Amino acid sequence: MGRYIFRRVLQAVGTLLLVMLLLHLLTTVAIQLNGNPAQAFFGDKVASPAQIAVVEQRFNLDDPCFDQVGNPCLGPFVERLGQYAQGDFGTNLRGREVSDIVATAAPNTLRLFCVVLVTWLALGMVLGSVAARWRGSPGDHGIRLTSVLIDAFPVFVLLIVYRYVVAVPLSRWAEETFGEDSWPPYWFKPSFDPEHPWATVLVPGILLGLAGSAAFIRLVRAGQLESYQGDHVRTARSKGLGERHVVVHHVVRNSSVPVVTAVGLTFTEALGGAVITEGLMNIYGMGGVLWGAVRDDDVGLVLGIVTLLAAVTVVVMIVVDIAYALLDPRIRYE
Amino acid sequence: MSRTQSAAEEKTVHKDESSAPPPLLEVTDLSVEFRTSAGQVRAVDGLSYRVEAGRTLAIVGESGSGKSVSSLAVLGLLPDTATVTAGTARLDGVDLLALSRKEHRARCGDQVAMVFQDALAALNPVHTVGYQLTEALRARRGMSRADARKRAVELLDLVKVPNAKARVKEYPHEFSGGMRQRVMIASALSLDPAVLIADEPTTALDVTVQAQVLRLLAEIQAERQMGLVLITHDLGVVAGVADDVTVMYAGRAVEQAPVVPVYTAPAHPYTRALLRSIPSASGTGRLPVIPGRPPSPAAMPSGCPFHPRCDAVRGVCRTEVPPHAVPAEGRMSACHFADDILAGRDPAPDGSGNDRGDSGGDHG
Repeated sequence: MGRYIFRRVLQAVGTLLLVMLLLHLLTTVAIQLNGNPAQAFFGDKVASPAQIAVVEQRFNLDDPCFDQVGNPCLGPFVERLGQYAQGDFGTNLRGREVSDIVATAAPNTLRLFCVVLVTWLALGMVLGSVAARWRGSPGDHGIRLTSVLIDAFPVFVLLIVYRYVVAVPLSRWAEETFGEDSWPPYWFKPSFDPEHPWATVLVPGILLGLAGSAAFIRLVRAGQLESYQGDHVRTARSKGLGERHVVVHHVVRNSSVPVVTAVGLTFTEALGGAVITEGLMNIYGMGGVLWGAVRDDDVGLVLGIVTLLAAVTVVVMIVVDIAYALLDPRIRYE
Repeated sequence: MSRTQSAAEEKTVHKDESSAPPPLLEVTDLSVEFRTSAGQVRAVDGLSYRVEAGRTLAIVGESGSGKSVSSLAVLGLLPDTATVTAGTARLDGVDLLALSRKEHRARCGDQVAMVFQDALAALNPVHTVGYQLTEALRARRGMSRADARKRAVELLDLVKVPNAKARVKEYPHEFSGGMRQRVMIASALSLDPAVLIADEPTTALDVTVQAQVLRLLAEIQAERQMGLVLITHDLGVVAGVADDVTVMYAGRAVEQAPVVPVYTAPAHPYTRALLRSIPSASGTGRLPVIPGRPPSPAAMPSGCPFHPRCDAVRGVCRTEVPPHAVPAEGRMSACHFADDILAGRDPAPDGSGNDRGDSGGDHG
C-alpha cells in the first residue's frame, strides 16, 4: 500500500504539471490572439504605452513571446512554476494576493459543500435504500418518479423561486416568531452574510443538495439492488439474521464503493464552484471568483485558482482510491 | 460400479441399526410456483420427503428439476417471484411454511441451516472469514467479540482448515475453492442446527476435493447426529454418503428409496438412465446419455413428464400422469410400469392390451 501511494503521488505530480502546461498554453494562445490583458487593468481608460509596460512587467506579461502567435512561451511558464513552488501565487489585477482571495473564498465553498454533501447523502442513502428494499412497491415508484422530477427541475429555478418568493416571508416570519437575535432568521436570509457563514449557507446548500440528489438516489438504488441479488445476502438470511442486520452489513456495506466514488467526484465538482448557487445567493466562493476572473481577463487569478483546483482534484482521487482498498479487500494495489 | 455397491452395502448395516426415529424434517406435498412473463410456472410439484436424525437424504436431479428451489422454500429464501402454493415443511413438528416471516427466519441457522453451492459468491467478499463464521453468534446470541474470535478458530478447526488461527482474519477470496466450501460448512454449523441442507456443496470443486468435502460432511453429520439433505445432480457421489435417495424430475419426485436398492434395481426409467450415464473407470466405449432435454416448466408435456425421453415409453405415458406406485416396501416410483422396471424387464408393448390395464389397476 505504501508503495502504491508513493507511485500515485508521483503520478499526481505529473498530472498536475501537465494540467498546468496545458492551461499555460491555452492562456498564451488566448493572449496572443486577443491582445494583451494588461489593457484590462485600465478598464475604459486609455493608458499610455509606459503605463501598460509597467503593468505588463508587474504581471509577467512583458515577455515578447506573447506577441508571437504560436510561440509556446515556455520561459514565463518556468518562471511561474518557480513562483508557485515558493508559495507565491501572484496577485489579481487589483493587486490582491491570489492566496488571500482563495483563503476567503474556499471556506465558504467548503461550507456549502458540507451542507450539500449531508443533504445528498441523507436523501440518497435513505430514499435509495428504501426504493431498493421495496423494489416495485408504490414507494419505489414514487421515489423514482421524484428523482426524475428533481432532475427536470434545474437548481437555478429552485433557487430563484426560493430567493424571490419564499425566503423573504419565511425570514420575516422567523424574525417575528423567534426574535431578531436568534438563529432562524439567518437561515432564511435571501443572501449570504459573511458574519454568519454557516447559517446563511444552510438553505442554499440543502436546495443544491436536493437538486443533485436525484442521480445519487438512482445510483444507491441500483447498487443496492445488485447487492440484494447477491448470493451472499441469501447466505446471511439463511443464518437467521434479522433483515436490518442483513441490509446494513451485507447490502449497504457491499454497495459502498460507488457511493465513495460519487462523493469524491462531487467534492471536486463542488470545489470548481457551484457558480449558479454562489451567484444567486451572493456567496463569496470559488465558483464566483473564478467566473469573475475569467470575465475580467484576470489571467493570474484564473491560472492560480485552476491550478489549485487541479491539485485538490488529484489529491481527492488518491484518497478515493485508497478508500476503495479499505472498503473492498479484493482490491489490491501491489 | 462395484465400488459404489460395496459402499452402499456398508450403509445397509447402518440403516438397520436406526429403527425409524421420528422425522426431524418432513416436507409434504410441497409446490412452488414462479411468476414469469409466460404466466405462473410450477417449479416444484407435490414434493414430499422426510429426513431423520443421523440420516442422510440425497435429492438427485438435473438442473431445473426443482431440487434447489424446494430447499430454498424450506428456509423461506425463495426469490420474490416465487411462492409456495401448497404443502407443509414440518421441522420438529412445527410447520415452517405456516410461520410468520420473522419466526421462520428465527429458525433458520438455528434448527435448519444451509450450505450453498459456489462458496465464493455465497460468502460476503468484504467481511473476514472469522466475522462471517460467528456473525450469527454475535448478532443472535450476543456473544462477545473475544469469545467469537475463539469460536471462529474452533469452527475452522472443526472443518479441518489448517492454520485456523491466522486464517480467520483472511477474506474469502484468499481461500482455495475447497477451503472456501469448508468455511461455508463451518458457518452453517455455527448455531448447531438439527438439520443441514447442502445444496450441491461440491459442484465448483475438482474431483479429489469433492471427495474430501463430502467425507467431511458425512463425518460431521455422523458425529452430531444431524439430519442431512444432500442436493446433487451427480448420482455417483450419492452412493457413499446417503442413506436414502429422492430422484427428482421436472419438479416432481420420480423415485424415492433407500440408497442400496436404487443402485441395484432402480424402479423408474429415469433413475435407470441416470445410473447408466455415470462414467466408470473400467468403462470403454461411449457413455450412454439420456436423449433430449428436461422439459421447461412452462411447457410440460402431457402425461408423464419424462415420457419424451423415456426408453420404455408406452401409450399410457403420453396421456396419463403416473400415480405414486409402491413397487416394493419402502420404495416409491412415479411410473406406470414401476413393477416391470424394478424387475428389470421392459413393459409389454402397447398392442398387448392387458398389460396396460394391469399396471393402471395395480397402482391406481
